[in-house]
Amino acid sequence: MKILVCLKQVPHKDARLDVNAEGTWIDDANIKFEINAYDSYALEEALRIKDAGEAEVVVASIGPDRVSQALRTALGMGADRAAHIWDDALAQTDSLGIAKTLAGYARGESFDLVLMGLMADDDNYALVGPMLAELLGVPFATAVMKVERKNGELVVERELEGGSLEVRSLPVPCLLTVQTGINEVRYASLKGIMQAKKKPLDTKALGDLGLSADDVAPRVRLEKMYPPPKGEGAEMVEGSADEVSGRLVTKIKELGLL
Amino acid sequence: MPKTLIVGEIQKGELREATLELVAFARKLGGDVVSLVMGSDAANRAEGLAKGGGGKVLAAAHAGLDSYSATGWAQAIRVAVEAESPELILISNTPCGWDVAPKLAAQLDLGIITDVFQIEQDGADLVFLRRMFNGKFDARFRVEGTPVIATVQPGAVAAYEGDEAGTVEALEVGDFQPRSAYLETKTAPAGGHDLSKAEIIVSGGRGLQKPENFDAVLKPLVEALGAQMGASRPVVDAGWLPHDHQVGTSGQIVQPKLYVAVGISGAIQHLVGMKNSNYIIAINKDPDAPIFEVADLGVVGDLFEIVPALAKAVSKAKG
Repeated sequence: MKILVCLKQVPHKDARLDVNAEGTWIDDANIKFEINAYDSYALEEALRIKDAGEAEVVVASIGPDRVSQALRTALGMGADRAAHIWDDALAQTDSLGIAKTLAGYARGESFDLVLMGLMADDDNYALVGPMLAELLGVPFATAVMKVERKNGELVVERELEGGSLEVRSLPVPCLLTVQTGINEVRYASLKGIMQAKKKPLDTKALGDLGLSADDVAPRVRLEKMYPPPKGEGAEMVEGSADEVSGRLVTKIKELGLL
Repeated sequence: MPKTLIVGEIQKGELREATLELVAFARKLGGDVVSLVMGSDAANRAEGLAKGGGGKVLAAAHAGLDSYSATGWAQAIRVAVEAESPELILISNTPCGWDVAPKLAAQLDLGIITDVFQIEQDGADLVFLRRMFNGKFDARFRVEGTPVIATVQPGAVAAYEGDEAGTVEALEVGDFQPRSAYLETKTAPAGGHDLSKAEIIVSGGRGLQKPENFDAVLKPLVEALGAQMGASRPVVDAGWLPHDHQVGTSGQIVQPKLYVAVGISGAIQHLVGMKNSNYIIAINKDPDAPIFEVADLGVVGDLFEIVPALAKAVSKAKG
């Protein structure tokens, strides 16, 4: 089985984020990045399939130079090879442009399974997975919480609301977007990190994928990003832990709960 | 004023509240409203939606649409789009909606924007507002070309209420073959950790740093208050607490008399699950955490100092 895992590198979950001077994205000059949490669960799921039998796990990521770090981490966790895709034209593209780029890459490889996270922790769009499936002409499922192989098909449980799960069966090739919590993500071992240095990491530009800048011209434009307008918000209590506790206890009493 | 197509969603035989919220969006924009309802019972549900403000409601009565499939929904929506030429297609951002909408966008090569909470008309353009970075920022978007597909955050606005004279028309969607097979829906097992009847819930988030701290730090406060313990998604994802402790869209929607959020920043999916609590206290070290926007009383500080002090103060107050 040949598996593609699409990874996005996003700001580290503990990074302090501020909007840039233009108000069009975050100021990402001096922050740490990491693999999008949803995608790391997708990678772990692929590595588990590999651990259980014969599978090759390929990781691909679109982004500037820093993205090679995320790919090295993925190789250190156990992926077999990586593709780093970048082109200046991709800096301004939208989700469909990203999906077209990944489709260009995947068409050259014929994967049995494509895995990625349900969404990215930065933009929260949740678009690329189903778009890529459509462009590749394969079935898909989103928000997957369990994957089992049965009679050559994949039986998956996808998360609905309120703790319900929908069970579906998909033929391969197919694409799954993974929900967080599906598994416990491994860390790259020291040995893994050493081995990763020798694993192939290809770089690809749009032209290598048979695409031009026009193919990924965006239709969706983020005009302005800003901290949410402050509503009334909470009444803030200040002071030492004991002073604060006193205020809170008074309030809880007023509510008739003590 | 765009002509809007509303994609209706039926759940357990009833039209979802979220569909009437789409009606509210479309009516506010003020253009023509057309709606789509799918499934064998579409004609009956369509009557209700027509009276509820859905305008001309297209009833796609097809047994293949009784259970969700991306293929079936995409085909029905495509046929409706061809028949009506809308400029805006509204779909609820539910597990069905977020699944089909991007597929449709790729299939029809259309611009799409997800999980919006507001749509404004600006001259000839539509401007879409949505949250970014798990609620840390808001952003305004414009989308080129028509129709534009927008998925809408459930609960962002109140459902449309009105008695309108809409009409119902049958829509022939033709045959299709779902690419994946629906097998069954598993509901959450009964007898789990039920938070729906708790008067007080104390929930912990990633700020508690490690699983042991739920017992060591949070539990004394839970017990002092006679509360139930809840959790944010990252906590259950990490396996620190079982999934049935999760408060949020994908977990339990709660409405206690008092909700205490400890070390929870307040991702949207959590806020939706608890914002209707009668009173909310939030304790977090980040003064900009979105949780303070929905809280009534907020404390910025170190939970490892405040929570033990609060547990002690509560016990003392009880005598």
